[in-house]
Amino acid sequence: MSKVIANIRLFFQGAVLSYIALFAWLRPSTYIATKVVGPLAQILFFTLMGKFGTSGESADFYIIGNAIQITALSGIYGVTFSLAGDRWNGTLPYLFGTPANRMTMFLGRAVIHIIDGMFGVLIGFAWGVTLLGLDLSNTDPWALLLVIAVTTFSTSGLGLLLGSLSLITRNVMFINNTAYFLLLVLSGSNIAIDRLPPALQAVSNVLPLTRGIASARAIIDGATFREVRPAMLEEIGIGIIYIVCGYVLFRWIEVLARRRGTLEAM
Amino acid sequence: MTDAFILFGIFVQPLLIAIMALFILGEQGDGAVIFIVVGSGLTGLWDSVLFQSGNSITRERWTGTLEALVGMPTPLAVIVFGKNLAFVTQALSSMIVAYSFASIIFGYPLSIESPTLFVISVVVTVLSLVCLGLVLATLFVLNPDVQRWQNGLEFPVFILAGFLFPIAILPQWTTPLSYVLAPYWAAVALHMSSSGKPDILEIILPWAMMALLGVLYLFLAFWLFRKMLFKARVDATLSGQ
Repeated sequence: MSKVIANIRLFFQGAVLSYIALFAWLRPSTYIATKVVGPLAQILFFTLMGKFGTSGESADFYIIGNAIQITALSGIYGVTFSLAGDRWNGTLPYLFGTPANRMTMFLGRAVIHIIDGMFGVLIGFAWGVTLLGLDLSNTDPWALLLVIAVTTFSTSGLGLLLGSLSLITRNVMFINNTAYFLLLVLSGSNIAIDRLPPALQAVSNVLPLTRGIASARAIIDGATFREVRPAMLEEIGIGIIYIVCGYVLFRWIEVLARRRGTLEAM
Repeated sequence: MTDAFILFGIFVQPLLIAIMALFILGEQGDGAVIFIVVGSGLTGLWDSVLFQSGNSITRERWTGTLEALVGMPTPLAVIVFGKNLAFVTQALSSMIVAYSFASIIFGYPLSIESPTLFVISVVVTVLSLVCLGLVLATLFVLNPDVQRWQNGLEFPVFILAGFLFPIAILPQWTTPLSYVLAPYWAAVALHMSSSGKPDILEIILPWAMMALLGVLYLFLAFWLFRKMLFKARVDATLSGQ
């Protein structure tokens, strides 16, 4: 019993402390620039391009797609940096030296970013409603919130996998940025999935966000959660697969680092 | 070691933006493709100005080489100008990558309608963006609060400069903001010369505006350089954070 309590404490302490460590250097202006103004600019850029273009998609298509995709700011960058931070700050040897439960430690890194990511998506929708006239009158808010939560969870799963990769590469920013922009291309946020070539549709199918964005559009269009439930179950499954892959990589890096005596696994 | 962040800004991001723009704007016909190639290339140029030129002094500070540079007989502004010139020129390759991709992978027939005017536009663009980079580099050192907005400045300039859509679709109150940005006039000149055959008198306006803004940026940058170096010497923070 005491072991369970210790693990729960480790989980929450790890979650809070890794978030504080990541944002310790930040001031409110950084947060506002990155999480409030930046997403607005992204939504505006693609919505305006969509309005100018003739792809046939409505402005709402881009507003919803980008508002949901913003969860990747926390899910990809936040989660990855939480793991990579241990390497940059030289705390990785201590981390691997503790007897603490690895799974608890690993998952804890994502928790606050899931909450923060959901908040970011809500900010994106707030911009959409106030500035771009997104109509949520047919929307079940709880269903939309649930879709946002599930999508943020699955995106954070990808973040945990990329975070583990960041322990063996110096080019973490390259990986993060590329993943973020690939999600913009392939998740359906800016290009309807059925317009992509079949090979890219297959890739899109195994990415987080794809089902989340489609479900959010359906919910805003008046669908009930029951209608998008299968897609949401798949989204959860995809998130779990990424988490498991990330965890296996995390443990493999630990074993490798111990064997080679290089706790940064370089 | 190659800085993969730079590779991303110059190659990967403009390419992915070009792909998205091809899907979103491409149905306007083959004529839109050269517009997309130039526009997405401009996003690479702006990223280079914002992140590489903008950090050109800060990076010297982080690596502890700023003191040595300031102590040299060559003025620091000249050294940073040279660095920024290299950064922006290097970022031109983003346009070449987008061009090759659209041409080879998507098979679009691409041609620059007015090659001579385009080359002149590229040269004027590079010089004006280098001057803008000097302002950003000094501003970011003088006021870290401004640098905290660095990430947040990327997309707003894509929008205000009309890289991939005309600024006419923006609210009218934003137009003056576009006019004081050299990237806007760069987009006007490059789009004009790549997509059409403008009259020389037509294209002189964006060239003149880039030249004028470049000179203004240069004066502002030299004033900021003096202020920055004076402050750094007084506070003894040349090598500090």
